[in-house]
Amino acid sequence: MRADRLPHIFCSGCGNGTVLNCTLNAVDQMGWKKEETVFVSGIGCSSRAPGYILADSLHTTHGRALAFATGIKMAKPELHVVVLTGDGDLAAIGGNHFIHACRRNIDLSVVCMNNMIYGMTGGQVSPTTPRTALSTTTPYGSAEPAFDLCELAIAAGANYVSRWTSFHVKELTRAILAGLRIPGLSFIEALSQCPTNFGKRNKFRQAMDQVEYFKTHGILIEKVQRLREEGKDIPPDAIVLGEMIRRNRPAMGVRK
Amino acid sequence: MRLVIDEKRCKGCDLCTMVCPYRIFQPGKRPNMRGIVVPELDRPERCPNTRLQALYGRTLCGMCQMICPDQAISWQEERPGEKRKVAIEF
Repeated sequence: MRADRLPHIFCSGCGNGTVLNCTLNAVDQMGWKKEETVFVSGIGCSSRAPGYILADSLHTTHGRALAFATGIKMAKPELHVVVLTGDGDLAAIGGNHFIHACRRNIDLSVVCMNNMIYGMTGGQVSPTTPRTALSTTTPYGSAEPAFDLCELAIAAGANYVSRWTSFHVKELTRAILAGLRIPGLSFIEALSQCPTNFGKRNKFRQAMDQVEYFKTHGILIEKVQRLREEGKDIPPDAIVLGEMIRRNRPAMGVRK
Repeated sequence: MRLVIDEKRCKGCDLCTMVCPYRIFQPGKRPNMRGIVVPELDRPERCPNTRLQALYGRTLCGMCQMICPDQAISWQEERPGEKRKVAIEF
């Protein structure tokens, strides 16, 4: 499904390319035709991704990818809509659209490439930047706690929520595939590395270092629940991974 | 099948050197024409996909291809009559 526009614009070692691979792999496994699939994106590094896909795509205004995707799905419910978006796009400026898309439970698949920083504009702090992380606008470390997008999506009512990283490619592909199959809004958060803007200020100078961090600090949700039941402590810097929720709330935009 | 890195696409992030279970990808030493240090292949005929992909009809491990952010890694069919090396690692 890829166009011959490669090599793409992402920096060396950027995780967005990996997440794009996984998304395309999952869409291929679904066997959707390119005429029936629409990729919607907003503004940002991650939102350049639909430009490299040989299918209909819509590159929209900042943060409004979900609003445009809602419009597409309502106008033509037979189309398969996949939203590729970033953390600045989805959590910061498009936060309200995200909550309401989850509340309405529209039949979309949202893949959020969360690189924990505003990569394209030069490394400003984003809502998902972890506490004490350095960025250009927080030179002494971010003082605010980070946004947990998965918890937000669960609370707002999404049908399928899971979180993986760009290291866990097979699991991420499986999660996206499950998300594409499920009617209703499915939200897959893919943590990705940003060696250029996040890594260089936070001791992950090589792309490999941050992927290694994802590998060593990732902890499955099942293990977290088990630790909680046993009353043991969960490491504070752990990244909770896995399928957070799968439920069957009534979905909007599904042909009966 | 032959394991190839597309030098036009590779940006030298060395993520493939981290994921390959056979350690086929080794960090490169000298920059290529575009000034990018492309990983070197250490006996690429050990990759299970080179001999088993056609037999099984699917990609077997494929971690390097999936994690490569630049879509630079692929398996190519040999030209007819081309010599091929076979290595099996136990």
